[in-house]
Amino acid sequence: MKRVAKPVFFIVALLILFLTFTATFGIKGQNGDNSTSYIKGVGDIRWGIDINGGVEATFSPETTTKATKEQIDSAKAIIEVRLTSQHITDYELYTDYDHDRIIVRFPWKNGEKTFDPESAIQELSATAMLTFREGGDYTTTTTGSDGQPVYKTPKGTTATNIILQGSDIKSAKSEMVQDQQTGKSSYEVGLELNDSGTQKFADATQKLQGQIISIWMDDVRISAPQVDAVITDGKCSIQGNFSAAEASSLANKINAGALPFKLTTTNFSTISPLLGAKSLQAMLIAGCIAFALICLFMLFVFRLPGFVAIIALLGQIALSFAAVSGYFPFVNSFTMTLPGIAGIILSIGMGVDANIITASRIKEELWAGKTLDGAIQKGDDNSFWAIFDGNITVIIVALILMGVFGPTNILSMLFGPSTTGSIYSFGYTLLIGIVGNFLFGVTATRLMTKSLSGFKFARSKWLFGGAKNENL
Amino acid sequence: MKTFKIHFFENRKIFFGISIGIMAIGLIFNIIFGTKLDIQFTGGAVINYSYTGTIQQEEVETIVQDTSKKEATVRILENVKSADGSVAKNNVSISFAGTDSLSLDSQQAIAKALAAKYPSAGFQVVESSSVNPTMGHSFFIKCLVAVAIAFILLVIYIAIRFQKIGGMTAGVMAIIALLHDVAMVYFTFIIFQIPLNDSFIAVVLTILGYSLNDTIIIYDRIRENRRLLGPKTPYSVLVNTSINQTFTRSLYTAGCTFMAIAIVFIVGQFFGLASVTTFSLPMMVGVVTGCYSSVCIAGPLYVMWENRKAKQKTATESK
Repeated sequence: MKRVAKPVFFIVALLILFLTFTATFGIKGQNGDNSTSYIKGVGDIRWGIDINGGVEATFSPETTTKATKEQIDSAKAIIEVRLTSQHITDYELYTDYDHDRIIVRFPWKNGEKTFDPESAIQELSATAMLTFREGGDYTTTTTGSDGQPVYKTPKGTTATNIILQGSDIKSAKSEMVQDQQTGKSSYEVGLELNDSGTQKFADATQKLQGQIISIWMDDVRISAPQVDAVITDGKCSIQGNFSAAEASSLANKINAGALPFKLTTTNFSTISPLLGAKSLQAMLIAGCIAFALICLFMLFVFRLPGFVAIIALLGQIALSFAAVSGYFPFVNSFTMTLPGIAGIILSIGMGVDANIITASRIKEELWAGKTLDGAIQKGDDNSFWAIFDGNITVIIVALILMGVFGPTNILSMLFGPSTTGSIYSFGYTLLIGIVGNFLFGVTATRLMTKSLSGFKFARSKWLFGGAKNENL
Repeated sequence: MKTFKIHFFENRKIFFGISIGIMAIGLIFNIIFGTKLDIQFTGGAVINYSYTGTIQQEEVETIVQDTSKKEATVRILENVKSADGSVAKNNVSISFAGTDSLSLDSQQAIAKALAAKYPSAGFQVVESSSVNPTMGHSFFIKCLVAVAIAFILLVIYIAIRFQKIGGMTAGVMAIIALLHDVAMVYFTFIIFQIPLNDSFIAVVLTILGYSLNDTIIIYDRIRENRRLLGPKTPYSVLVNTSINQTFTRSLYTAGCTFMAIAIVFIVGQFFGLASVTTFSLPMMVGVVTGCYSSVCIAGPLYVMWENRKAKQKTATESK
């Protein structure tokens, strides 16, 4: 049989240990106060909402006609702006053009004291249509949370005569003004209109001098100032007793723009961060125990090939971590959920199968009377196709799992992308586990076994599963 | 090294009997308990709040029904382990009847009304889920289609890879063993009264892959032994020998996989993580039946079918 050089074992083993160490801990550089990650470790893994807590919602436009692709795209872009302006950077946003759906999923920020997912969803899906209207008539009054009256629904001329819309506004900024006489500072939103808006506003302020122009955000009147002068420079401000936060939030809303249609939330699901915190710890404990038991089992039953199997398993696990955390620059980082961790643990159990098959085969050949080298060679050859076929079936299943439970792909052409993301992670880690199994459980194992068998101390049939004290 | 000499084919009636027996028990449970689908598939809404102190279940029901204009069932779970180890909180779970989703406004209104009625309870949302029934149904169909596609792909794969030992027969018998496993997983959900959710689909698909893996090992050995023992060897001897030779490996792998998932289950049970236990318990059952079906069901069925084919062939030849 082809001799594999002795150092090969050490090279392969060291490479695997290096991969394991870096995939787990990453390599970080410290530059004063900043630490940059050169290589991502387990700490950089993005956890799903079932671990971090979070929100998942599906929005559908409330139109009777089918929305165009551009409309859905513009709605998606606006939602993205809103997410980032709320400092939510870790979101997933999918569009389904066939069924007119937008799916958004984001984890709850670490350390956020109040968990109010409903407000978050409502802010994201608010139509945010800013209008300037003639007059200030409203239909209903309710009392807001601060005790101030809230005027809703324009009526009469106010309803029909719209002077300006969000599209006429070039930019909005939160500004602080200080009252000259009292020295009190208040916040307002300063607007700058574009050319057509400036013209329209100039005409309106001229026509309605002495009357009221009201400003509405969706169905709520936020301000109703009286027109004192003709405004021709296209600059005006919205005053409404805003706090700093309210002013900046309103400015952000105006800047993000109005959605092309009203969105309703057809599905939503929220998980509190407290629920997920212990789950992660639990799964990690389970993983460590399972790995330890399997290692003991392999060592005890298969001796030297068992030892090689442990190193191979480490490599497979490290590859799983690396594929999820974004260790490899060409593989995107992946959201890891509880079923995803279960997938890693399951692929440890299934992955060790390759080593069991090979080692059992070697043992069989030894008992059939072959020499050590012959047994290893025959064992490797005969077991390969069984491992291959078995792994391929799990790959088929993993791909189907990813197809059913993931975003846009073939199956979703029929039925739309899924809102259940957590099983997607399971399919992915299972797939990576099997790929890792081919790499480490088959190739690396064979290299290491053959190389090890070259060492004097390892030239014993017993170490490979044969009977004790047999002639080589 | 231990060599087994179990007469798998000869004992087949016992094995079939055990399987049919368990399935009959499962069917009885199914008739008693009915098949429950999770809201992910049917649509509907569930909200889970945590609170401290005491509340009255009937009052909560009335508040919820008045605010949301929907029928609801309220369940109170006391002293649920809290994640950060602090004061054990109680959980109240509100399930809305019917399959409609719940609007955000309704949910906020309910939260407000509950806080108004019990200001010191500190209601906090632990979990909430509202699924539109149309989306739920299409998701369910998508899952079923996926399982069907998996079956078809796997049959084709086996038929191709094991042509030399009667590909189609091997494939069909493997599928019967797989259906057996799916039924076992299904009955686990029924018996333990877990509503069928996405975990069910995930477990079914995984066990399909895993059980087929097991069956392939045996078929692979049959293929090899067919070459070694020659075409004259009767199928029963061929299959018995093959299964006995691979028995150790089947046990070891099933043992390792079972142990890995069992640990996940035990840890999940200890920490009270429902999402983990509803996933791992059926998986444990699936691993066991996967091994059992490959060893005791697929093999003997294959022999029976091949024997029948041979008998038909000699019958037509002797005509």
